Amino acid sequence: MKLQTRLAVLVCKASGAVLRKLGRGGTNLPGKLALKIDKNILGELSRGVKVTVVTGTNGKTTTSRMIEQAFADAGLKYFSNKSGANLLTGIIAVFAQHSTLSGKCPYTHALIECDEAAFRKTSEYLPVECLVVNNIFRDQLDRYGEITHTLNAIREGITHVPNATLCLNADCSLTASLADSVPNKIVWFGVNVPIYKETAHELSDAPYCIHCKTEYEYDYITYGHLGGFRCPKCGYHRQTPQVAVTKVLATGADSSDIILDIFGHEHEVHVNLPGGYNIYNAAAEAAVAHVVGIDEQTAVSALSQFECGFGRAEQFKLGQAQARMMLVKNPAGFNQVINLIAHDEGNYKLAFLLNDRFADGTDISWIWDVDFEALADQQVRFTRVLVSGVRADDMALRLKYAGFAPERIEVIREYDRLLTEIGSDETPAFLMPTYTAMFDLRGEISKHTDVKAFYE
Amino acid sequence: MELNICHLYPDILNLYGDRGNIITMKRRLESRGISVNVDECSIGQPLDVDKYDIFFIGGGQDFEQEVLLRDLASGKGKDICTAVEEEKVFLAICGGYQMLGQYYKTWDGVQLDFIGAINVHTIGAKERMIGNYMYRTTPESSGSIVVGFENHSGKTYLGEDVAPLGMMIKGYGNNGEDQTEGARYNNVFATYSHGSLLPKNPMLCDFILQTALDRRYGKTEPLVPLNDTLELNAHNYMEQRLSK
Repeated sequence: MKLQTRLAVLVCKASGAVLRKLGRGGTNLPGKLALKIDKNILGELSRGVKVTVVTGTNGKTTTSRMIEQAFADAGLKYFSNKSGANLLTGIIAVFAQHSTLSGKCPYTHALIECDEAAFRKTSEYLPVECLVVNNIFRDQLDRYGEITHTLNAIREGITHVPNATLCLNADCSLTASLADSVPNKIVWFGVNVPIYKETAHELSDAPYCIHCKTEYEYDYITYGHLGGFRCPKCGYHRQTPQVAVTKVLATGADSSDIILDIFGHEHEVHVNLPGGYNIYNAAAEAAVAHVVGIDEQTAVSALSQFECGFGRAEQFKLGQAQARMMLVKNPAGFNQVINLIAHDEGNYKLAFLLNDRFADGTDISWIWDVDFEALADQQVRFTRVLVSGVRADDMALRLKYAGFAPERIEVIREYDRLLTEIGSDETPAFLMPTYTAMFDLRGEISKHTDVKAFYE
Repeated sequence: MELNICHLYPDILNLYGDRGNIITMKRRLESRGISVNVDECSIGQPLDVDKYDIFFIGGGQDFEQEVLLRDLASGKGKDICTAVEEEKVFLAICGGYQMLGQYYKTWDGVQLDFIGAINVHTIGAKERMIGNYMYRTTPESSGSIVVGFENHSGKTYLGEDVAPLGMMIKGYGNNGEDQTEGARYNNVFATYSHGSLLPKNPMLCDFILQTALDRRYGKTEPLVPLNDTLELNAHNYMEQRLSK
């Protein structure tokens, strides 16, 4: 091992340890320092490791946790970037952390969640065995630009890893186009049937054919632009998935039950998280398990046992109330959460927390593309409508125009008071924070209950 | 009284929550007992110009621009020009604003001809102009402060007969050079402001609605004030943040 690499590992480990001691999630700086010392550190450290990468707009973290459960249950010697450090520098730090001081990585497998824009660069260095692309939706346009930019960044990243097997969402016309003219082996996953009786009123992020710009026709839509698409002009169409959800048996506030067909073998699967989007994530997990060589039974049972936490339907007891935290980042994801709440019949408190820091997206225009109207139609069920975060006033205004009675919209800026209000009676709550609001809120909750810090 | 609103290309020009403007116009008219019909008109659908009082055009992605220009060239572009000359009310945001102009020239010199309903043109720049911003509309356009979010790489320049919608207080505006923001010509209101624009700028919204009512019914009574507490909270928050 080159001296340079050893030094880079040492610096990375040491600075990470110091930052953690200081109580800060040292996720970017150590990687940055290491990269300065050895440009190719990631290539060196990951040599010989079988790497599974998860990317795409929505569901990266949840899918990774599902896969991780399967890795653990299958007894693989693996590590993963748990902390949401999914840019190049964060991924370097995770590899350094899991290497010896001499720069050897003793693990056989790595499970890496990767930011879709960062994948282009990251894939230059990683020996990727399996790449999952969940979906591509519009997200943080101030940062990523147009949706096709995201798509092209991933497409370019794939050219670096011709030997990787791609697990692609067959129902996403954008994601599916990644299979065009690449030498990679493909495993398609998808959902063969509509998930909900009614779906939220939402805009399609990809109404026109990626190849010839003709409007797609659909046999069915699961949500957003996902479903049985085909182009009437050039014939581009959904591929039949080898890993397919063939039936949705039940969808609830805490979980879903589905029939999952994995290469011709049917399994009844309990998915330990609610929401149609997590049904897709489950199918992605089964596809990865197949590629990595984990048996189907292990893959399926992992789905009923994994825990995600970290704002993904994470549950807390706040005072007298049970609360579920649903991270919201973009219209497609938010609409999925709304679908979930709208299809449940219980009484709930709702809390919306909107921030506009860099990691949230500095442009909050997207809230006007979210179908809050579907919740306003049922507002009698919601005992409190609470609004917080840096852009609480914009959120309150959005809810007013969605049809919530203005006098029922409560702006509460202080998180401690917000949590007290939520815990003041037994009615359960849905907390819907954007990314940085989730961190702040978890921080506040940790003062009251036991919540793991994100870098643990 | 009633107003008919036409939402042009809602499935393509919908990038930054611009449909909030439609929601807001509808709601603020209905709160005053004025009925509203909103129709959508997209690719391949004929446009019945006479039927509508207000036309709304939002911003979109480059990807679908080709489809859009083809559709405009098939006759809709001419219809829109006619409507503008007949002093119908238009609200055009970002890409929709650029599209009403003469042309767009990319930074490396490729020119795309637009419909030329208003005498403005846009030149592509390498750097995006992006962020929360603020301007004051001219007295002819309500004289109020507008807060919003701009995200464009095109620099737009106003030609003869076209006035700015307002003058910049914070941010880039039309081109980051001449302090102007947006455009006014006849009853066209054009701006780079996403946000959405109208929800937290109720004075401008009411001014646009009043313009449409006056055009249809002759001089009408001023719109009755509404309870705008939440609107002004959101407006004032951003105004104060940008004034620091």
